[in-house]
Amino acid sequence: MKKILLKTESLSKSFSSGGVLQHVLKNIDLELYEGDFTVIMGASGAGKSTLLYALSGMDTPTLGRITFGGEVISDYNPDELAVFRRRHCGFVFQQIYLIDGMSLMDNVLAAGLLVNKDRKALAERAGELFRAVNIPEETWHKFPTQISGGEAQRAGIVRGLINSPEILYADEPTGALNSRTGLQVLDTLTEFNRRGQSVVMVTHDMRSARRGNRILYLKDGVILGECSLGAYEHGDVKRHEKLSAFLTEMGW
Amino acid sequence: MGSNLRRSRGQTFSVAVLILLAAAMLNMWLMLAMDYRQNFDRCHDRLHGEHVTLAMDSEPGEVRSFLTDVLEEEPEVTEYYMDDALCMVGNFAYNGGEVNTEFVILEKDAALERPIGRVEIVEEGDGETGVYLPMLYKTGDIAVGRLIELKIGSNTVNYPVSGFFNSVMAGSHNCGMCELLLTRDLYEELEERGYAPKATLLSVRLAHGGSSAEYEADLKSKVSEGFPYSRVISNSYAMVSTSRYISQMICSGIVSAMAFFVLLIALVVIASNIGNHIQENMRNLGALKAVGYTSRQLVLSLLVQFLGISLAAAVLGTGLSYLLFPSINAMMISQTGIPYEMGFLPLPCVLSFGILGTAVALAVWLSSRRIRKIDPILALRQGIETHNFRQNHVPLDKTGLSLNLALALKNTLSGVRQNVTVCVTMLVLSLVVVFSGLMVENMIADIRPFLYMVVGETADSCVNVNVGIEEAFLGEMESEPDVEKIYLYNTVNVRHAEGMDLMAMLCDDFSQVNNQDVCIQGRFPRYDNEVAIAAKYAGEKELEIGEEIRLTVGEREERYIITGFTQISNNLGRDCLLTREGYEKLGELQNLSYYLVLREGADLEDFHERVRQNFAGNVNTTLDIQSIIGGTASVYVSLMKIIVCAVLFLSVIIIAFVLFLLVRTMLGRKKHDYGILKALGFTTGQLIVQTALSFMPAMILSTAAGLVVCSLVINPLVALFLNGIGIVKCTFTVPVGFVAAAGAGLVLLAFGIACLLSLRIRKITPCDLLKGESF
Repeated sequence: MKKILLKTESLSKSFSSGGVLQHVLKNIDLELYEGDFTVIMGASGAGKSTLLYALSGMDTPTLGRITFGGEVISDYNPDELAVFRRRHCGFVFQQIYLIDGMSLMDNVLAAGLLVNKDRKALAERAGELFRAVNIPEETWHKFPTQISGGEAQRAGIVRGLINSPEILYADEPTGALNSRTGLQVLDTLTEFNRRGQSVVMVTHDMRSARRGNRILYLKDGVILGECSLGAYEHGDVKRHEKLSAFLTEMGW
Repeated sequence: MGSNLRRSRGQTFSVAVLILLAAAMLNMWLMLAMDYRQNFDRCHDRLHGEHVTLAMDSEPGEVRSFLTDVLEEEPEVTEYYMDDALCMVGNFAYNGGEVNTEFVILEKDAALERPIGRVEIVEEGDGETGVYLPMLYKTGDIAVGRLIELKIGSNTVNYPVSGFFNSVMAGSHNCGMCELLLTRDLYEELEERGYAPKATLLSVRLAHGGSSAEYEADLKSKVSEGFPYSRVISNSYAMVSTSRYISQMICSGIVSAMAFFVLLIALVVIASNIGNHIQENMRNLGALKAVGYTSRQLVLSLLVQFLGISLAAAVLGTGLSYLLFPSINAMMISQTGIPYEMGFLPLPCVLSFGILGTAVALAVWLSSRRIRKIDPILALRQGIETHNFRQNHVPLDKTGLSLNLALALKNTLSGVRQNVTVCVTMLVLSLVVVFSGLMVENMIADIRPFLYMVVGETADSCVNVNVGIEEAFLGEMESEPDVEKIYLYNTVNVRHAEGMDLMAMLCDDFSQVNNQDVCIQGRFPRYDNEVAIAAKYAGEKELEIGEEIRLTVGEREERYIITGFTQISNNLGRDCLLTREGYEKLGELQNLSYYLVLREGADLEDFHERVRQNFAGNVNTTLDIQSIIGGTASVYVSLMKIIVCAVLFLSVIIIAFVLFLLVRTMLGRKKHDYGILKALGFTTGQLIVQTALSFMPAMILSTAAGLVVCSLVINPLVALFLNGIGIVKCTFTVPVGFVAAAGAGLVLLAFGIACLLSLRIRKITPCDLLKGESF
């Protein structure tokens, strides 16, 4: 029996646009489990990113509850949510969003020092993570504008993992990368998941989605279906077929 | 090219407010400097004022024939007029203290009909009998219909106030003499009582007003020669026009300094704004160059925007100066005594616009030079940011600072323009703080340092006695329990043979005087062949310590060695110190002024009464010096209180607007970074503190440096301001505690304002970042 990390009950999110109310998420009941690589798929406008923001505490739901470790985080104010994010969540963004004015190491430590004051231990962990994502030491003190997009995204993953979060949220992490560097990033995420890191990734790319062991398909603000793929194995053809069949069934 | 100003309304607003303040003060300064003092000349012309006034208390027939001969010989004299007056030292209560001056009392109708130096009635009651006072003395207590108590010599009279008048050369206590007009009945009565001796009032107009001081000295010297035992008082156009406008000079100096400081800050802000604009719009500027715009066109578009906003703000600022000017006039009227009628002054306006326009154009042109260096291809490819491989300031893995402080310091070190703006602002405001501290300490809280510098010597009482009773008087004072110290401090006129008339202060022993700071270089005279001379006068005549000068009184002339330089602004820097023996080589003293310091708790009124009774007929005057000083000093204290409050208020406004601009610029530039940091888990409070802290290093360092440097240079600066009234060296105490507290207050205020302005960070949400909204 897997441990539940996060649970939503009747999660709804609406936006008002030009006086018209849009219900982007509708009564979503969902549980996220420890150690899973959960992938949220769906067409553009399905509400994938909105769901990710709500789950990660970036945004607050209009209705419903989100519970994390027994705490109802959907009631938190913005500052409480900020503290929640720094302690329990890691983020990898499509646009990478490293701060240009800081070196890669500083980008990582700026997030790390929010939680851990032991600078030395933190720098050592950052070094380990940099090595794990194949970023050489001479690059650690470079600025984001001085490295490639792939290196920057991998540095983004290091930043996301520096506080050993319960869940690493990745929003289209390969969306801004070319095929080769995108693959490197996916390999990195897969490797960390294999080591026990829970990952929630939003994507509309099937190649990326294959890395997940649990696929959720979102359509018009509701989870239309769910598919379990098991642990990722490189070159597993059946996995691809199963995912294709699921997506076809969902109307992909 | 899109308008830089339209897109950054907050910055435009700040620039506009700073320019508005600069324009208001610039125009106010130019009005004060160019027209306010002209008001004296206008009044002088209107009343056909004299250039030299002289009153002497000898037999009219003999005096007038002598004066006529002297005046007729002088080609410089164009017109003169003599008439009857009563002349005596006197005083009356004024402004919480008392005015003590030489009263020149005229019959009202005669004064109105004088062809030269006539008076004009400004306000008049219905009463048929009474006294008319100079306009300056119109206060709550002195008003038409009320009784006024005048002490004329040692006699007291009470007259109803019938009205107020303007007299350009004798309408104030700082003219050396003060005219009072009496209705015919009162004049005749006073003449009959003999409280004030009959005198002749002479008014002389010269072909060239500029030579008035020299001619006054010359005339007085001739009169003293002809009538050695007559009491002669005089003034000149040069002396009166300066002394009536001391507050105008101080106010004008401070307003001009503030105007240029604010303008400097506005220019730094404009330069910083343009620098940011170029950096943030490198691609757009590259694109415009690529499609054919020249650098000149791009610079010109910035120039038009900033000149447009500057001129619009300058128009409003000029309007503001006209709204504020009546208040400034009201502050100064108590010293000038000449009502100022304000009208639109085109020249100060044109000059203000010209100065502002030129300064803004120069700042825009200089700070936009970088546009010329933009290579369209490079700018289009990457913009400037990617070419800027900066140093990683404060690496987080190595620093021992807390995270917030370290991130704030990173911001500080990467914002050169922000730091320059903060430093210039705080350096300027440090000077304002030090100046305010200096004025609070040396004028507002305790006026003695200011008085010592301006008045020279102060004591509790001054008793003027005839020379014949000196020994008895001193014997009596020795046994008087109320007297702590008594010393001779007499004022007489001498003439520097190669120069001008000087007011000589005589003392038996200068080590007795209370204010030992009068001698600012060298030492006081000790022997009968020594003199200490006013530093300002010595500078004008290029006299050095150790040099010998010739002083004359009438036909007698003696040589004296200069032992020191003095500074007393009472005579606008034309004075000297002599020992009594030193003076007696030149002339004899008819009466003696003794300064007295009384014991704590002594009743001065009682003491004076006892002295008058004991030496009846031989005591000419008894003066309450502190009260006299209080009356005139309160004008300066009030003026300085208002100035200090105004400049401190202005400082707060400037800090607020400069920070408003800097914080808005930073939030605009770093909105993206703040979004990322919030997504990572930074709270709004942390980011607000980081933002406010990022201004603090530059603010603390520049304030500390500014306070130290300004504390060192403030005295020479004040001396420079007051040079016109004879001050060459200022030794005010800088109140270290006040300055440090005010500096710390300024920094804390800035931190608070920066925090408040950074509250906009609340509106930045990580969601905006993820939704890809425009930052």
